[in-house]
Formats: sequence, structure tokens, C-alpha cells
Amino acid sequence: MEHSSLAGRIFRGIALALVLVFFMFPIVWIFLMSFQTNEQILRIPPRLVFEPTLGNYAALISGQLRTTAGNLEISFVHNLWNSFALSSAAVVLALLLGVPAAYAFARFKFKLGETIAFTLLSFRFAPPLLVLLPLSLYYQDIGLNDTYFGIVWVYQLIALPLILWIVRGYFEDISPDIEHAYRLAGHSWREAFTRIAVPLAGPGIAAAGLLSFIFCWNNFVFALILASADKQPVTVGALAFVTASGIQYGQIAAAIVLSVTPTLLLALYAQRYLVEGLSLGAVKG
Amino acid sequence: MSRLELKSVSKAFGTTLPADRLSLAVEPGEIVAVFGPSGSGKTVLLRMIAGMFEPDEGEILIGGRSMVGAPPERRGIGMAFQNFALFPHMSARQNIASGLRGKAAEVAARVQAISRLLKIEHVLGHMPRELSNGQKQRTALARALIGSPDVLLLDDPLRNVDAKLRYEMRLELPNLLRRGSSSVLYVTQDYREAMAIADRIAVLIDGHLEQVAPPEDIYARPASVAVARLFGDPSINLVEVTPLAEHGALSAAISGARVHLGPAGAEPPTAACWLGVRPEDLMISLSAADDAVPARILAVTPIHEKAVLLLRLADGTEWLAALPPDAPYTASDASVFVRFTPEAALLFDRASGRRIELSHRRQAA
Amino acid sequence: MAMGILELRSVDKVYASRSKTPVHAVRSLDMEIGKGEIVALLGSSGCGKTSTLRMIAGFESVTAGSITLQGRRIHELPPARRKVAMAFEGYSLYPPLTVRENIAFALKSRQLSRAEMSRRVDTIAHLVEIEDILDSYPRSISGGQQQRVSLARALVRDADLYLLDEPMGQLEPQLRAVLRGRIKSLLAEREMTAIFVTHDQTEASALADRIAVMEDGVLQQFASEKELKDRPANLFVASFIGEPPMNLLEADVSRTDGGFRLSVGRDVALQIEGDALDAVARKTLETAPSLRIGIRPQKIAVGSGEARVRVASNQWLGDQSHIAGELCGHLVIAVTPGRVAARPGELVPFAIEPRHIHIFAADGTCIHHAEAAAR
Repeated sequence: MEHSSLAGRIFRGIALALVLVFFMFPIVWIFLMSFQTNEQILRIPPRLVFEPTLGNYAALISGQLRTTAGNLEISFVHNLWNSFALSSAAVVLALLLGVPAAYAFARFKFKLGETIAFTLLSFRFAPPLLVLLPLSLYYQDIGLNDTYFGIVWVYQLIALPLILWIVRGYFEDISPDIEHAYRLAGHSWREAFTRIAVPLAGPGIAAAGLLSFIFCWNNFVFALILASADKQPVTVGALAFVTASGIQYGQIAAAIVLSVTPTLLLALYAQRYLVEGLSLGAVKG
Repeated sequence: MSRLELKSVSKAFGTTLPADRLSLAVEPGEIVAVFGPSGSGKTVLLRMIAGMFEPDEGEILIGGRSMVGAPPERRGIGMAFQNFALFPHMSARQNIASGLRGKAAEVAARVQAISRLLKIEHVLGHMPRELSNGQKQRTALARALIGSPDVLLLDDPLRNVDAKLRYEMRLELPNLLRRGSSSVLYVTQDYREAMAIADRIAVLIDGHLEQVAPPEDIYARPASVAVARLFGDPSINLVEVTPLAEHGALSAAISGARVHLGPAGAEPPTAACWLGVRPEDLMISLSAADDAVPARILAVTPIHEKAVLLLRLADGTEWLAALPPDAPYTASDASVFVRFTPEAALLFDRASGRRIELSHRRQAA
Repeated sequence: MAMGILELRSVDKVYASRSKTPVHAVRSLDMEIGKGEIVALLGSSGCGKTSTLRMIAGFESVTAGSITLQGRRIHELPPARRKVAMAFEGYSLYPPLTVRENIAFALKSRQLSRAEMSRRVDTIAHLVEIEDILDSYPRSISGGQQQRVSLARALVRDADLYLLDEPMGQLEPQLRAVLRGRIKSLLAEREMTAIFVTHDQTEASALADRIAVMEDGVLQQFASEKELKDRPANLFVASFIGEPPMNLLEADVSRTDGGFRLSVGRDVALQIEGDALDAVARKTLETAPSLRIGIRPQKIAVGSGEARVRVASNQWLGDQSHIAGELCGHLVIAVTPGRVAARPGELVPFAIEPRHIHIFAADGTCIHHAEAAAR
């Protein structure tokens, strides 16, 4: 296995390149689209060589969308800010609730423990649309419709199960003896939790937090139904590009690039943590 | 200065009973080894004392105070774990100092003193993952010892270090453990470790304390067959016999030969028994004698600087004999004769497994 | 050993990886093993013993050198065609098969009658005491039992060579001694050639006819247990073999008429006659102001002799006493079969005699074995 022939190495290179092209194509294409005008995009056949324009980005940031049918106000930057605020708040809340709960599920075996944990996970299985109809009615009744808090709350359906299940696994990987040792050294269980369990599960908590941030960021349906224009995140705000005079491909591409960039960076960052977290076992002994 | 006392402590997990009415007292400065096969309840016992879970019944007292309901941090216990359980995100120094409170200079001085004793001064700044197994184990010991706890619990601390280090620690440990006059409970699965380190050994079998006695007593006068089988490497030879008392002398038939077991005494045991003889008490010769059992040497396996012979008696029973390493026997010596003195024989009741005190042994003891 | 059945000729194993520096696991290993011999590969983890075994079995390629088994160059053959049986450290039993089927599986390829097959399985099962679990499945039996099944599965086969990886590490302590004897007797009776890997010298000395001591991928010494103890080739072997290992002391060398005096502190002065030494040893002693000497713990008599030793510990293990004490800054251990009345802190005489010592040169080679030289 160690000594592969030259032909084998060339073949492997080609195969890898093909796979890479297959997966990277949409992303690269969208990136290129974001620097073209609608006319350039709709040219047939499409060309790889074009004169790049920053017009799409300018329109997004200034909030002025010029179409053939006239000028349109869009609030892309505000939507971007909404995405950021909603996702962050949802993750912080989910961490505050989820990390102690995950610890409890990992360390204490109690009646119905598995059932409760599984029920929480099953929230992820339900189609969101099914949940939404009754939820929006309730929200209207109790005045949570079209509020930031209402959306953050409903985002817990996304973030909480994720954090609970990922972090629980990390806590279970920490030898209980390590915590016992800390308690025997004269510390309460709260101290053992905050100074031993949480720091040791740190990489896992970070990874779970970042992952649920990305999931919240990418959510579409919840905000579509439960929030009006000024509370909407980018995912919903992008609908504004479907205008009376046609679809603004260039701006959509630019919007995608702008909204995907933060999550992409986060994902790359989280990857490091995930790897670090998974190798925690090596330090356990 | 306070003793550890267990009063009829019981614990059940489902249908298994890892602790069955355990009673034991450990004096300050005393080392008691808890020894038994794996799964006999040693670790459960230690964890109950440490407060990781409560006994179903009975009481645990430290310094006369009942520990029922007391959280682990308020029991005055130091503990070393089999897997070391070092805090991976703290340096060796922080690990050792984790239980100390007070002035920084004072803490530093105490950490320095204990690490000098355990020869780990040079690695105090290292993180656990940078330590060798031996250093991890010494760091864990330092952490357990530093607070001079009333009770010191050691859960098979030498299990995960190599043989050479284990031997060195076996020599060092008793002196280290006696320093702070803690009451020490030392769990081990290695009978030699138990004998080398402990003042007394508590033999735990299936959650039940079979015998608590000094090492030499346990080896020479095991309370039951089960205890006898656990001590000695190679382990004791056992054969089923029904002793015969005749003309004031006790004897037994082994593989067709009649072997003397000493004077019969007033109440000779004549029920079915196990006869046990330790391998090092067997004597081999090439010439027949009236109380010698004929045997064939199947193999010679030298261990622990002894020549261990696997013998097959005429009736198919296999015995092991441990001889000095220069014993001149080889597997080709087709037939030999095996003898042992009446003093070397241990008799156990077949039904109960308890040892029967033979009259000549009683006088000797 | 009339003829080598297995020959390893300057075998090298290098684990190359693009990112890290290559690991030289085995270095120009030469070994010749005779028909019916039992050989132990002994060493600590990472010494190359397992790599060697896996190269013979065919699970690792040979970087350089050759391995021949009964004249066939097996390092060029796939594992299945090497006529080698192996017991794995992790047992590797087939989970969906019963213990009996697991053992019989090894015989499947041979055209054996049903009766013959079952007779063979029963014989080996009796030997390793697994008759009562023959119809159980691997997951329902203990680790020790699984290890015995794995041994049985390897030993039941007809092979030119049997390879056993840590074959008895998990066995129940009460069974171990008897099983060692039975397996040794079986191997001898059927003239089976076997190589086993172990880190446990007790196991190596109990089972093996010859022991290959390895360290850092290099074969340190390949000899019988007695030879390793009486004539260790170097410091590594001397301090690795023996339970407890050999005591090593720093001794000053001075010349006397007709020989040399080796002294440790004021108490120990060992007279070595010049004519007992060979040329190399004499030369070394003439030039070195001080050197290392070794003596086995079993050779130190306690209670007589010149050396005053302060007892650090005195441990009775039921059949022998281990007494550790300090002598001129060295921890010296003595092992005696009887009990010794010595408490920690007391001064006790230790007898260290010239006829028991080994002398080491500065590079670690052993240049003189007093006892062996006298014979």
C-alpha cells in the first residue's frame, strides 16, 4: 500500500480534482455571478470572462435596488443585522439552558431521563411547517408574534436539541473519576461542574454552539411566518429580490456571498474545535 | 488522627450484591489492603467510603463521625485512582495543589515538599499529557497525600504502570503512606502487592469479607479454599480427599498412595475435604517412599526464579511444584515421586470451604 | 537445533509516512529458529517485537531482508499461503459463531471427517479448559475465556509455525501456571514450532526454550532464560531480565598483585583474579578508574558478609523475602527464600561475593561474568 505506482498517483490526483470541481462548482459560480450584471448572467451561452462590477454589492449596502421597473427600497443590511442578533441570542439562551441539562443527562441516571432527552431530540424530526401553524396562532394570542424574543424562543427548537445531544456526549467522555477527584479535594459539585466539566467539554460546547448558530442563521420558515419585514433575517429578506420586473440574479448572488461568508468562516473555525474536541480522549488518562 | 470504621455496610445494584454486610476498622497509620478477584466489590466499597454513592444499609464512620449523607468534599478523604484521574487542563503543580487553600507561599512550599518526596519536582510545570505513566501516577499520589487526609483510599494505583516501576513503587509505598498517619485502604488485584504493602489484608470475595488478617496469617492459615486459591503463584494444589483416622494418625489417599497428615487429635476430620498443598512445599525425588505419590513431569516452566513443574499423578490429577531454579529435573524424567510434610497440608471442609485446624498446626500456632 | 526451520535474514521494517520522520521499527534482525523450538520475543512496548511477528505472519511487508520457513521464501507470499497459524492479542473471534465453530473453522479448509474434526476440537478444548463453553457465543464469555478460545483456535491447526501475540496476558491467575505447563507439554509432544510475543518476562521464561530480548528495534540477545540470567550481553538485558532486576553498583577499580580490586564504598571490596579474565576484560579493568558491576538479588546473602546496609523495606511475599536497603547511595535489593528479621532503619549485613558479579564496560557491554567464567 505504501509504494503506489506513478500511474496510481496520477489517477488519484485526477479523481480528487473531479470530486473537488463537482462540489465547488455551485459556490464558485455564485461567487462569479455576484460580480456580474443581470444581463451578463442571462447571456447564452454563459461566459467565464466578463468585466466585473461591484454594482450588486453597492446596491445591497446602499439599500437601493434599481430595476427596469424603477427604484426599490431593500433593507438587506438591516436583515443581516437581524440574522446576527437573532442567531446569537438564540445560541446564548440555548447554551445557558442546554449545557447544565446536558450535564444532568450525562451524569445522573434518573427516571425518564432517556425519554426526556429523546423527546427533546424528536423536536428536530417534526417538519417545522407542521409546528408553525398552531404556534403562530398561539403567538398572536400571547403577543409574541413579530417580536425578537418570539423568534429567539422558537429558535430553541433548533438550537437546544443540538446543544443538548452534542454536549452530553462530551460530558460522558470525561471520566467521572476526574470530577470525583476534584470533589475529594474539597470542592462542591458546582465547582466541579464549572472548573472541571465545563472547561474539559469546552471544545464540544464551542462546536455545538457554532453549529447551532449556523443552523439558526440558515433557518427560513420560522421567521417567514412569525416576523414582519423589520425583524426578518437575510434568508427571508432575500425574497425581496424577486421583483415585479424579474429576478435580480446578480444581487441575489451578492446577498448569498455576504450572508454565507460569516457562517463559512464560523464553520472553518468550528472545524478546528471539533477536531480538538474529538481528540479529548487522548488527554483523559 | 482518626480511624475509619465500616459497620455492616451493604449495597445492592439490581440483583448483584457488591457489598454484603461489610465490617472493618482501619486504625490511623495502618495500611489495609482490600484484595479480591475482579468484580468482587472492591471498587464499590472504596466509592461508598468516598461518598460517590451511599450504602443501602450500615454506617461508615470517620473519626467517630457518621458519614451518612456527607458530601465527598467534607469527608476528609484523599484518593488515588487507577486511571490517575488527573485534571487534564491543569499542570502537575496545579493538580497537586488543587485541594489546598491558604497563602500562596505556604501552598507552594507544601507542593514542593511532597513532590521532592515523590521525585517529581522536575515535572511540576508539565501538563498531564506530557507526563509518562509513572510520573502521572506519582502526581496522582502526591495529590492524594498532600492534604494529610484522615482517610487515604488507593484504587489499584499501580495497575497502569509497567512492571519495573510497579516493583519500585511497591518498595517505596509503605513508607510514603505511613507518613501522615492516615487510615489507608489500598485496593489491589495482585496478591504480592497486597502482601508487600499492607499491615492487614481484607480478602473480599463476591461482596463478602472472607478473611481480614496480617499477610503472613492469610498465606499460612487461609480461612477458606477461596482465599487459599487467591494467594500464591503458582496457586495452591487442591485435591479431594476423605481423611482417615487410624491408630491416632490422620492420613489421606492421594492417587493410590497413602499420605500422612500428622496426629489425628481428639476430633479428627473424616468428612469429605479439600487437601491443599502449596507448590513450594512439594518435594520431588527419584526414589519411591511409602508416603510419596508417583507422578510424571509434563513440563518445566521456570517462573519467579523458581522451576515450576507440571506433574500428572497416576489418577490424572495435575499438580504444580515450585523448586529452586537449579533443580535438575526436565520434562523427560518420566517418573518421579512427590512428598510433602504434614505441616504443609491444609485441610478444608468440602461442604463449606472453611479450613479445618489440624491438631499439630494448632500447637505450632 | 539441527536445522533452522525459520530464518530471518537482516530483516528491516521502516514505517514511512509523508508528514513524519520514518520510524525504524526493526533493524537488521537475524534469527534462526529450529524445529520444535518455542521462542519468546520479549521487550517493552515499541521495541519491534510485534512488528516482527506481524512480518512473519504477513500482515506487514518486509522493508528489507528475507524470511524463509522450511526453505520457502514466505515474505513474498500472502498470509494465507504461509502455513502459519496465529492467535491475536485482541482474540479476533468470529462473533456469529459458537466457540466450537470458531475452533472448527480453522480446520475447515482441510478435508477432515466430521468425527476427526470434533475429536480435535474436543482435545484442544479439554487442554485449555473450555469444554463447558463450547456452545456459547464469544460475546457471552469472559475475556480470559476468549483468550483461551483464541489460543485453541490457533493450536488446533496444522501449521509449520505457530505465532501467538500476548497469548496469556488475560488468563485467570489461578489457571495460568497450569495452562503454561500444558501448552508447553503439547508443543513439545507434537514438535510444534512456536513464536510468541510478550512484554511479561515471567511468561517468556515459563514457556520459551529461547528468549529474544528486543529494544529499539534491535535484537539485544537471543538465548535461553538461564543464559540471559547468567551471561547477560549488556546492561539493558541485565537490568531488564530478572525479577527484581539485577542490582547495579558503581565500583572503583584498583590493581592488586595478580588481579584487581573492585570496591564499592568502604565495605565492599571484591577481589578478581587476573587469570579469570579474558584479554578484553583485563584491558578494560586496567584502563577504567571505575565501572559498573551487577549482582542478582537472589545471589546476595542476608545476615552475613561485609556490607552494612540500612534497610529501607523488608517485604515477605509468602514464599520469599524482598529486602531493600541503601548501600553507598545505591538501592540494593536482596531476595531470600526464608523470612528475615530486619526492620526498616536497621543495619543489616549483606554478602556480595566476587563469584556472583558481572562487570560492564562503559558502553554497556558485559565483559565478565564471574560465575560463568569459573565453570
